[in-house]
Amino acid sequence: MKKLFYILLILFGFFTGCRQRYDPPLNSLPNSFLVVEGVLNAAQDSTTVHLTRTFKLEQTATIRTENNAQLTVEGKDNTISSLTETGNGNYVSGNLHLNPNNEYRLRIKTTDGKEYLSDYVKVKLTPPIDSIGWDRSNEGLQIYVNTKDPLNATRYYRWEYEETWEIHSSYFSYFVYENGIVRPRQLPAENVYTCWKYNNSSDIILANSNRLQDDIIYKGPITLISPGDERLGERYSILVREYSLEREAYDFFELIKKNTQDIGSLFSPQPSEIRGNIHCINNPAEFVIGYVSVSSIQKKRIFISSAEVPQWGFSFLQGCPSVKVALNPDSVKLYFNNFNLVPYDIDPPLFPTSYKTSTPDCLDCRVRGGKLLKPSYW
Amino acid sequence: MQHFRFYFLPFFFIFFNNNIYSQAANYKIDDTFSKVTLIEFFNRVEKKVPYKFYYNKAQLDSFILQLDVKGLTLSGVLKEAFKGTDILFTIDDINRIVYITRKLQLITELPKNIFRHIDYSGAKNNVLNDSIADFDIASGKVTKATTRKLIEIGKKTNRTGGNIILTGYIRNATTGEPLVSASVFTDSVHITTTDLYGHYSLTIPAGNRILNVQNIGMKDGKFQLAVYSNGNLDVNMEEQIRVLKEVVLSSSKSSNIRNVQMGLERLTIANIKNVPTVFGEADVLRVVTSLPGVKTVGEASTGFNVRGGSADQNLILFNDATIYNPSHFFGMFSAFNPDVIKDIELYKSSIPANYGGRLSSVLDISSREGNKKNITGTAGIGLVTSRLQMEGPIAKDKTSFMLGARTTYANWLMNLLPDEFKNSKASFQDIDFSISHQIDSSNNLYFSSYFSNDRFSLGNDTTYGYSNRNVNIKWKHNFSNKFRGVFVTGYDQYLYNVSSDKNKINAFKLGFDINQVNLKASFDYYVNSNHAFDFGISTIRYKLHPGFFNPSGTQSVVQAEEVEAEQALESGIYFTHRFTPNPKLSISTGLRYSLFDYLGPHEISKYVPGQPVTEANRIGTDIYGKGKFIQTYHGPEVRFSVRYFLSPTLSVKAAFNSLRQYIHLLSNTAIIAPTDIWKLSDPNIKPQQGGQVSFGIYKNLKSNTIETSVEIYYKKIRDYLDYKPGASLFLNHNIETDVINTKGKGYGLEVLIKKPGGKLNGWISYTYSRILLKAYDATQGISVNNGKYYPANYDKPNDVTMTGNFKLNHRFSVSLNCTYSTGRPITLPVGRYYYAGSQRVLYSDRNAYRIPDYFRTDFAMNIEGNHKVTQKTHNSWTVGVYNLTGRKNPYSVYFVSENGLVNGYKLSIFGSVIPFVNFNIHF
Repeated sequence: MKKLFYILLILFGFFTGCRQRYDPPLNSLPNSFLVVEGVLNAAQDSTTVHLTRTFKLEQTATIRTENNAQLTVEGKDNTISSLTETGNGNYVSGNLHLNPNNEYRLRIKTTDGKEYLSDYVKVKLTPPIDSIGWDRSNEGLQIYVNTKDPLNATRYYRWEYEETWEIHSSYFSYFVYENGIVRPRQLPAENVYTCWKYNNSSDIILANSNRLQDDIIYKGPITLISPGDERLGERYSILVREYSLEREAYDFFELIKKNTQDIGSLFSPQPSEIRGNIHCINNPAEFVIGYVSVSSIQKKRIFISSAEVPQWGFSFLQGCPSVKVALNPDSVKLYFNNFNLVPYDIDPPLFPTSYKTSTPDCLDCRVRGGKLLKPSYW
Repeated sequence: MQHFRFYFLPFFFIFFNNNIYSQAANYKIDDTFSKVTLIEFFNRVEKKVPYKFYYNKAQLDSFILQLDVKGLTLSGVLKEAFKGTDILFTIDDINRIVYITRKLQLITELPKNIFRHIDYSGAKNNVLNDSIADFDIASGKVTKATTRKLIEIGKKTNRTGGNIILTGYIRNATTGEPLVSASVFTDSVHITTTDLYGHYSLTIPAGNRILNVQNIGMKDGKFQLAVYSNGNLDVNMEEQIRVLKEVVLSSSKSSNIRNVQMGLERLTIANIKNVPTVFGEADVLRVVTSLPGVKTVGEASTGFNVRGGSADQNLILFNDATIYNPSHFFGMFSAFNPDVIKDIELYKSSIPANYGGRLSSVLDISSREGNKKNITGTAGIGLVTSRLQMEGPIAKDKTSFMLGARTTYANWLMNLLPDEFKNSKASFQDIDFSISHQIDSSNNLYFSSYFSNDRFSLGNDTTYGYSNRNVNIKWKHNFSNKFRGVFVTGYDQYLYNVSSDKNKINAFKLGFDINQVNLKASFDYYVNSNHAFDFGISTIRYKLHPGFFNPSGTQSVVQAEEVEAEQALESGIYFTHRFTPNPKLSISTGLRYSLFDYLGPHEISKYVPGQPVTEANRIGTDIYGKGKFIQTYHGPEVRFSVRYFLSPTLSVKAAFNSLRQYIHLLSNTAIIAPTDIWKLSDPNIKPQQGGQVSFGIYKNLKSNTIETSVEIYYKKIRDYLDYKPGASLFLNHNIETDVINTKGKGYGLEVLIKKPGGKLNGWISYTYSRILLKAYDATQGISVNNGKYYPANYDKPNDVTMTGNFKLNHRFSVSLNCTYSTGRPITLPVGRYYYAGSQRVLYSDRNAYRIPDYFRTDFAMNIEGNHKVTQKTHNSWTVGVYNLTGRKNPYSVYFVSENGLVNGYKLSIFGSVIPFVNFNIHF
């Protein structure tokens, strides 16, 4: 009997799960690789290069900046200018005075003693943005860019954008509730009704004009704002930066774009490695991510107000309750402390019997992620 | 697995004319011939002596004779008569024949030592004594005689002398099936093997000859022939009886060193059944992957890779029908029923010119012809599948049928699979049906059909299905003994579909299909033992539906989408010359010219010339009407091979091949996934081209019982498709924007030691092979690995396979199978970073890493039931263990994002010891 039991155990005991943890044999790889982001500005304006590091798969996602590095821009004509560190991995220079007929490269010395050098890159001048426009459809509001190069020399384009939009709280708040006490809000210093929110592009936006006779980008899509989005609740602004690219740089960005975040199931497609034009001098086999290009940067900003998009479908009131809480200490304590309600007004205004209250996100625009400071261009 | 056939007729049946010997005698002649023609002279002499004259009238009718003879013998008279002329005569006293020739003397006796290899003593030679031959003359009279009796070939009255051609069929005496690759020979010079239909043509000198017929698993036969002129000899061979005391037969089973074809692997179903496989079911493809030079990317993967070729570069033919998906159930079973298969041939090096359309290899699978004498069958019950096979005569000795069917009940198995596949379902079926009909001795007709169907769902509501459907008719016609033609027409279809009905709003059906109509005419012309020719034409009409996506049900809001159908015509014309200038040297030169026309109606996208083919560079479309020739590709293909004997057991071979392929499998994964689609070459997708040089040494040891070989090769391919990162292939209207053309180079070494027969049989093979690809076209934009060479997905350098079978006795045998191979390459994520405002994943160079190595051992025991002849059915058991060591061989390595971390996992399909049992009945 015992023997039979063992046989059965052998027969069926092995039918267990077949999924195991797998740690790839990446021991030979160092912890992190240098990531270089930025364009050497050939226009009469400042240049910013951003240095970060890659991090391991099993580490929590954080931006790991590379600090205390020395960056210099070297011209083929032996001109040298250096960039100054401003913190958070940013290295900045004022006008680099780059000569459009020259070629430049970027040299990076990191604190671990390694030296990185990009290939020499030709200066590419970016034609100005003709216009930024938008089309409204069922899908939302499509913002596009129009540009052209009469010299037919640009062909490859990349854009980045910065968005700013104004938001409001649902109700104007006249009171502050702090430390268990309700006090009147000091205005205008403590006004939390109007804020501005900011967002930077997180997509790589590319276009080329290869299939056209003329070097024209007509309605190149920049971003799509979905119907009912908060951005067009009051007033919206977008600043578009245009870069012209060399063909190799375009390919580099397209590869990053195509490498999907989908990393592997049984039938997932092949990803590909990313290589830019920066190399580690000490160890040529080391990965360096980034493509240094030299071009002038063109900018343009437009504004869109909610009045231009009627029936947009967004209201700052939506989802915000207004609850009356009786003016007695017990109610106040219960509602304000336990139910997380905040008073904003009194009712009726002359001989109040109760507070008008709502949730903090309906009263303080900072809770919704806004900033109180009005931007200079607003 | 293995079933026995119980037939105890240990003999051969052959057909011949009975013959009476006569004694020579001397006759004196007195006569006067005055101005008579030679013809008249012979007629008069024939009346005086019991001899017959044989001559060519055209050669002699100008002679006038004036002769007076007295008391001379026949030879004296003739000497006198032909004095001063170039007319020669030969007297055959045994048959009482006088041959008259001009210039050349006819010799009726052979040099004394010509039969020195053959032992006539009989007493020592069991085979000769045991053998009995049946002789059949036109009257249908059948007599029995030992093979020591003389069989006459051709007509005595029509002696030609010199070399004659002997043709005929070699068949299994009990079932009437033709025997393939049986050796037919008189000596090491005059030797041939039977073809697919069991037919042979052998050139031998006229006169008395000993003919040997041998085939594995059959009793050897020797026949004494008196060869007069071209003739026919059909031989029915009896299966080898397993006697208790082993008989050692060391005959010339040396086709591996003799065959001029390089890199040809031929396996009979008996070989295949000796290899243990998962679930105990004999598996054609799995055995193929144990051969040197053949690899598979994983155990549950469809398709195989030959000498660094991709899975789509193999032409898989089943009875001349093209099979696009040769497996069931994610590749765990091959789609061919082992009970109907006769044998397989894999050409991996020198591919004969009659095959075309694929770069790497041809796997030709033939099913048996049905038993022409009795109805028989087998049935098998396994853990996962059940099989049934029936065969028998429709009209005795003329027409037979063969039916095979399999089905599965695999759902329980799915529950054993990893968690990812929970709640999965799977089922498959396949049916083979064929009829063979002999119209007369020179006309045969074959009908064969094949159907396979798979349906499975993987852990969710989505159902996948795929199906092969094939039917064809073949007519074989012998124009003469030397000239034969085979005509085939058929229809092949492969389709798959995916459907989901759970969510009524999103319910969809999507699918793909490929259809082809084939027409092929091939001829072989056997001139003599030095020259033979094959030639023929073939054409395939393709129609593909590259993909459709339709709503399913009335509530579905899915928007229908369809990629335009593709059609094309692929034609080929070929010619092969097989030249054997002397017994040591044999040369086969083949030339194939292939022509591919991509036909309308179709819309073709145009791209900016000189710029990468991307969506952004598309400048418009050209619309072509129905039947319009949109694009034509054509080119020659060379197939050359040569064999030279250094000694009777040692040969060297060399081959050069060039090939073209016009159809591509679009697969962004390393394996053939059920949703992979095929794509025809079009103006934007060039055909693949390849060339291979190979060289090999073949040596047989121990009286040809052990075969050894070493082959090396180097190959190049061009315009093989690889994919851009993130390419999506299904419903892609402009697939050319997602592919990159690569060129590849492959090289390797293959070593094989094989013992085909005996108590212990099997083989050990070692393969070293590399296949490297390179995205060479700089204008394509995105390049892979900076335009450097990188290993292809299926590059697995080292591979060792051992397959052994040991027969302990006649009812019990054990098999062991070991496989080791390098893990396949993989592109790993090596880190993450932020760029342009988003988190991104950093990948290694393409295929820079490898998954862990693969190792597996399988063990099986075959137990036969008792061997009583009187039983109605005979049964056998197969019991075994798959993956004996329980090693968790990774099938796939993948990464998932979990709580902001990216974790790697490896998945094993058969990550444990899997026991199996199988029960077979033969009736």
